[in-house]
Amino acid sequence: MKNISEHILTEPLKDFIQRLLAFMPNLLTCLIIFVFGFIAAWIVKYVVSKIANLLRVDRFCAKVGITETFGKVGIKGPPARLLSRIFYWLVLIIFVIIALYTLRVPAIEKLLEKFFLYLPDLFVAALLIIIGYILGNFLGRTALIASVNAGVKFSRLLGKGVKAIVVLLAFVMALEQLGIGRGTVIVAFTILFGGFVFALSLSFGLGGKDIARQYLEGKVKGESEEKDDLTHI
Amino acid sequence: MPENSVILGEDIREQIEEVKEADILVGVPSYNNARTIVHVVKAVEAGLSKYFPDNKSVLVNSDGGSIDGTMKVVKETTVDFASMLVRHQLGGYRKFVTPYHGVPGKGSAFRTIFEIARVLKVKACAVVDSDLRSITPEWIELLIKPILNEDYDYVSPYYLRHKYDGTITNTIVYPITRALYGKRIRQPIGGDFGFSGRLASFYLTKDVWDTNVARFGIDIWMTTTAVANAFKVCQAFLGAKIHDAKDPGADLSAMLHQVVSSVFDLTEEYFPVWSKVSNSEPVSTFGFVYSVGLEPIKVNLDGMIEKFKLGAEELSSFYESFLPTELLRYLGDMAGKTKDNFSIPDDLWVEIIYNFALAYHKRVMSQEHLLKSLTPLYLGKVASFVIETWESTAEEVEQRLEDLCIAFEKAKMYLVEKWER
Repeated sequence: MKNISEHILTEPLKDFIQRLLAFMPNLLTCLIIFVFGFIAAWIVKYVVSKIANLLRVDRFCAKVGITETFGKVGIKGPPARLLSRIFYWLVLIIFVIIALYTLRVPAIEKLLEKFFLYLPDLFVAALLIIIGYILGNFLGRTALIASVNAGVKFSRLLGKGVKAIVVLLAFVMALEQLGIGRGTVIVAFTILFGGFVFALSLSFGLGGKDIARQYLEGKVKGESEEKDDLTHI
Repeated sequence: MPENSVILGEDIREQIEEVKEADILVGVPSYNNARTIVHVVKAVEAGLSKYFPDNKSVLVNSDGGSIDGTMKVVKETTVDFASMLVRHQLGGYRKFVTPYHGVPGKGSAFRTIFEIARVLKVKACAVVDSDLRSITPEWIELLIKPILNEDYDYVSPYYLRHKYDGTITNTIVYPITRALYGKRIRQPIGGDFGFSGRLASFYLTKDVWDTNVARFGIDIWMTTTAVANAFKVCQAFLGAKIHDAKDPGADLSAMLHQVVSSVFDLTEEYFPVWSKVSNSEPVSTFGFVYSVGLEPIKVNLDGMIEKFKLGAEELSSFYESFLPTELLRYLGDMAGKTKDNFSIPDDLWVEIIYNFALAYHKRVMSQEHLLKSLTPLYLGKVASFVIETWESTAEEVEQRLEDLCIAFEKAKMYLVEKWER
């Protein structure tokens, strides 16, 4: 009976305690790294905030339309602060990962390995979306102003269309980078984009046939919009 | 040679060596102007002979790489002095024909002219456009004499123009330049100027020759630099300016962007100067000022108002980021009005321009987007101005512009106060 209780209870318990004691230094290291991570993240946040202010990041973001875009999706506050927070979390996550590694638990190690391999793709995808957004905003605004100055009636729609196409393209590229539904996304995008262009051509053709006729008549017969004799300079 | 001096060609250096010094230099920048430059060169040569026969003079043609034989035409052009009852230049006359170096543009052509003026230690210079049809020998007298005889440093041109000519100058450039720098120079971007050798050397010390000043902004840059650096300025009445029409396909918004950005860029450099200036003062005007009857001209008012309405509606969310709400509300109201009650008052226009200047200064967005978005509002102001002055004489229109300028001057503190905030 004594042997049985030793075999079933005492020995596993001893074993568990031994393992726990062996694990304790790792856990302690993990906690220390975690605390250091907090401190390092806070320092990085402070430094990035100072550098961003020095480089006038807020002014640049306002200029290229990032602040406006963030505002529209509910992200309030100056972009410099947002950037410093991103760095804060980035540093903290890195420290958390390092801390978890020190635990030497095989399951966690495997998970982290996969995560690390995926990280560059994630970074490139995020970058593609950010660049797409900035470029979309810029080109959309260029199209809007140019079409207003050319006297095009549906300028705002045109500007939004240009922006949407650029952002959509960036989004598709990002998904492609992440390997999410690779074939499906490209086919879907091709169909969607082709359909959009077709719809646009059709609506232009039907809606603007009179304008097109007038324009061509003007070109062929030499008739055009009534010009004035004003010299602006 | 100073560090930023332009590299002159070997050929031109040799010619300068021969001449050594000169009293007067007249520069003619050119690019494919073979058709029109003959008249300009003849007028300059006749002007120099008639009004400055005892001075040693130089004509410099600074060319941007013409392929139509402009340089050859300049070299071969001669004046029949006998038919003009003018005697040959006694002080000596030389003609330099040289291509300029640097970024393509009128500014780079002028830089070469300034450099030759500096090396030759000239006392007085003038620059005239190579596409002028109406230039006469008297232009040279009017641009040079205030420098030589009256000790002025800068002579701005004052042309006889139709009441609706130069609407960008009238509604933006003249009023804002006058309000900022305090000198009533009526046509600060005229294109033909007189200046002293001292000022030419000063221009050369400025590090602007790789910027838009070299490309398209040289005219307002010369005027503003002269005024802001306290050089003695005046203007000369030259009569009508008739020249080749600008490219008819040229986009108004691009033109507006070029002109207004040139003005706004200078406000950055000279804030310490203009922030201290209040009111304005007239400058001396030389020449025999006269006016002629107004010829009726065609103005597409409906087209301008339509474009204003389109801009006010479609760009409203864009304007929201830098124009005050009250102002936007007024523009929105105007977009709903008919031609009969369409009006953009002066104080509102001043507020628009000052807010554009502030947005440009604070770089709240792409500067090109910002200034191109001014086009519909500018057309609205021009339409409003035309409606208001359709029956007015040239003198009445001039008085009306005076009111606009005063509105710019009165509201200047608004710009100064918000500039550094």
